[in-house]
Amino acid sequence: MSRGPLSRRAVLRGAVHGVGGVALGLPLLEAMIPARARAEDVGLGPIFGVFFWANGLPWHDGHGSLQAGHPDHWTPSTQGTGWAVPPLLAPLAAHLPTVLSGLEPKTEVPDSPAGQSDGHMRGFMVGLTSDRPRPEGFDHPSHTLTALRPTLDQVVAKDPRFYASFPSPYRSLEIGTSTARFHDYGHWNAISYNGPDSLNPAVSDPGRLYEMIFGISGGDGSQARRAALLDAVLADAGDLRGRLGAADRLRLDAHMEHLFQVQRRLSLGDIACTAPGAPGSSADLLTQTGIQADLLATGLACNITRVFSFMLTSPATTHVFGEVGVSQDMHTVCHAGDWDAIYAITLLQMRCFARFCDALAAHVDPLGTPLLERALIFGTSEYGEGYQHGNAETPVLLLGGADGRVRRGVHVRAPAGNLASAHLTLLRGLGLETPQFGFSGSETTIDFPQVLA
Amino acid sequence: MPVEQPAFARLTTRQLHNVYVDLLGPVAQPELPADTTPYLFESVGAASEPLSESGVQLLEEAATAMAAEVFGDAGRREAFAGCAPQTAWDACTTGFIRAFGRQAWRRPLTPTEEARWLAVAADFGSSDPWEGLEAVTAGMLQSPWFVYRVELGRPVEGRPGVRRLTAHELAARLSLFFWNTTPDAALMAAADDGSLGTPEGLEAAVDRLLADERSREATEAFFAQYLDLQRLDRAAPDPLVFPDFTPALRAAMRAEVLLLVDERVQRQDADVRGIFSARRAFVNDVLAAHYGLEAPGASPITFVPVDLPPDSPRAGILGLGAFLTMNAHAVDTSPTLRGKYILERVLCATIPPPPDNVSLDLTTGADADAPLRERLDQHRDDPACAGCHAMMDPPGFLFETFDATGAWRTEDRGQPIDSTGELLGVPLADAGALGDHLSTHEDVGPCMVKQLYRHAHGRLDTTADADSLAQLSEGFAADGHRFRGLLRALALHESFQLVAAPDGAGVAP
Repeated sequence: MSRGPLSRRAVLRGAVHGVGGVALGLPLLEAMIPARARAEDVGLGPIFGVFFWANGLPWHDGHGSLQAGHPDHWTPSTQGTGWAVPPLLAPLAAHLPTVLSGLEPKTEVPDSPAGQSDGHMRGFMVGLTSDRPRPEGFDHPSHTLTALRPTLDQVVAKDPRFYASFPSPYRSLEIGTSTARFHDYGHWNAISYNGPDSLNPAVSDPGRLYEMIFGISGGDGSQARRAALLDAVLADAGDLRGRLGAADRLRLDAHMEHLFQVQRRLSLGDIACTAPGAPGSSADLLTQTGIQADLLATGLACNITRVFSFMLTSPATTHVFGEVGVSQDMHTVCHAGDWDAIYAITLLQMRCFARFCDALAAHVDPLGTPLLERALIFGTSEYGEGYQHGNAETPVLLLGGADGRVRRGVHVRAPAGNLASAHLTLLRGLGLETPQFGFSGSETTIDFPQVLA
Repeated sequence: MPVEQPAFARLTTRQLHNVYVDLLGPVAQPELPADTTPYLFESVGAASEPLSESGVQLLEEAATAMAAEVFGDAGRREAFAGCAPQTAWDACTTGFIRAFGRQAWRRPLTPTEEARWLAVAADFGSSDPWEGLEAVTAGMLQSPWFVYRVELGRPVEGRPGVRRLTAHELAARLSLFFWNTTPDAALMAAADDGSLGTPEGLEAAVDRLLADERSREATEAFFAQYLDLQRLDRAAPDPLVFPDFTPALRAAMRAEVLLLVDERVQRQDADVRGIFSARRAFVNDVLAAHYGLEAPGASPITFVPVDLPPDSPRAGILGLGAFLTMNAHAVDTSPTLRGKYILERVLCATIPPPPDNVSLDLTTGADADAPLRERLDQHRDDPACAGCHAMMDPPGFLFETFDATGAWRTEDRGQPIDSTGELLGVPLADAGALGDHLSTHEDVGPCMVKQLYRHAHGRLDTTADADSLAQLSEGFAADGHRFRGLLRALALHESFQLVAAPDGAGVAP
């Protein structure tokens, strides 16, 4: 290993950490650009995110016989590049979405006890973990169930290779927009899981998100003291740990791992992130998406994190889309079979997705690269369509270029193809060499080479 | 009697807010991680889900901010500490660590812990000893000994694998159960001197906790969760159809349920099943108008009791806006949801989810203008649906004289309403008759016992709990279904004090 790049990497790491005796004025990362320009092996790395919307797509013949009789306004009619943009993808067209169509989860979910193989939460758990959920509690009125594995955002965030060159203050941020929930029992507040019962609730309040991104700089050295104090807390936990049963120890360990992350964040010192004015908040979904997206993009440009999940609407959302003339909640309208309403709502959800991408395209990192070029955003929903809970034709969009590793604007069609191949493509597109992905029948070693550059 | 593992519950958000104030005095209410309610109860979420990273960060920020608030004021910090430290290792500092640690962790500190936090005080207080105390305060409020209800217990002679809670663990469990907060000085003293470990001492402590005003709030919190009132917050009646459904009306609907429960449980201390049959409502002005009741003295903030006629179909909590609204759609009523709620929440019956690929759409087709009751006949004609809907819909039909926000109505789509129905084969004339039926129904008591047990233990009951549940249910019935009697019996029951030894290594001190 040559000394040159290594030392520059160390300087860069020191700058990002705010430690190591590197004295630089603000903004720190901008000060690093000359070094970065010389050290071509040191990049700021790709950004990975999940963009989730609820209740799938307007149904069409491809979803099944019960759903037949409606046009497919989602799937491009030709593959490769240069396809005519279908109406539902029109809002995103400027951002060159890559479309994987025809996919469906191949994960086998048993139906005993009855009901667990269906349901909106099951849909997202399979769609984002490729494994079956844990069914216990699904038959209770609270519809309690949980993902068994980390969702894809956490697979990436916790992969030691992803943050190997230098860390970010947050391994990931979980953000939301709509606060409508089909159930209010808590586990519907998250599409991000670390494992069983361990959910990462979405932050839907722009004020709190602002605080999380821009409020972690102390400026007066108080942060280092707060970080040091946590050593005593961790020592307390060490006394307790050995006296607990196995399940309780796991929960204490998870807590302490999270506390360690808080400590690490506090010990970074000042983050070179210029705070915009305090954000407003809006009841309008598109406006609120813009507020949240702009905050996130400002943070991403400062390397506040490189992994996020964005829950526009939660699975089975009961959000009321009055702005497109639908007065009943989306879940009800969906099951009532009102195709026109679901079409209008989905088009609005795609406009929100586009607004989100606008923010990442407009913000540039300290090296002058638009964030969207570094990003790989996995846009998906819990179903192919929500009217009959159809899994066929699950929507998969890839936005952004993953630092040049993913081709933009490509359509690949794989009829009845394995959704886990999309997951594998994402992981490989991020440079995380992964021999196989998928569980419980969805295992695959095959990606979509057409979209990997 | 077999014994289950302890639940190792973290304090719920509600408990944290109360405990912070009890320990520190009035403080700005910090933002805290939201509770989840799997199986209806905050305590179950608190005992099964690890704190998220964002939740841990909120606790850190809360502890830092509250400690800064207390120690930022010279008078306040001295009153809080009870002395003024001159150095970071003087008697004031040592005494503070012992006293605050004991309060915050609900037990005396071990010498190792004292030494650890003394070192923190010395470290952080090297230039200003007050900063040492502030750091100790912020740190101890993040320790797992504060954040969790730790229940390790002591071995029980002759019963390998079983532990009995220590006196301090029992004090904490009692206090958090009855008051949703940390033990007060008297309860801590009873733990210190061992009296809590005697049957008489325990009874005296339970009776004192139960008699205190603070037990009302915790009882109310249980009923709000057992009755799933959070769903009222999410109900979204169509504003074009129900223009009078305002935030004020929604809030009043929630309040009146708890007032009715409070009267039955706290003031009358009578058979709690009467909450289903009472011909009595507590209304403010908007609710009185909504129900069409005369309520002299009612105002936006004053709820007055109104006695309803003995034959009123509007009876008990199931005749109130909360139940009727949260179990309805935006425009239509839902006999199915109303019946399902009664079977699941009041009788603890299990209803399987609907089969895949059934049409849930009853709004289209030739009979779209027929009364809902006729359209729902599809449910019971289709054999795939009939098994469950024949149970769920008929009790729901009893409420068809109440619209989707609980207002009285006499017709549905221009036709008179048939509100007869049945509950599990028992024919009933109207909702009032259902309330009367539930007020003597023998499944209501055991269901309430089961729900309270889950709430108290922070977990689902298992076969290991069957004997305890049966004993408590029998005692509840024999005592005339007095809810306060049930609370007392539960706290005095052996199941409240025994836990299984941890399956891993480790020995209790």
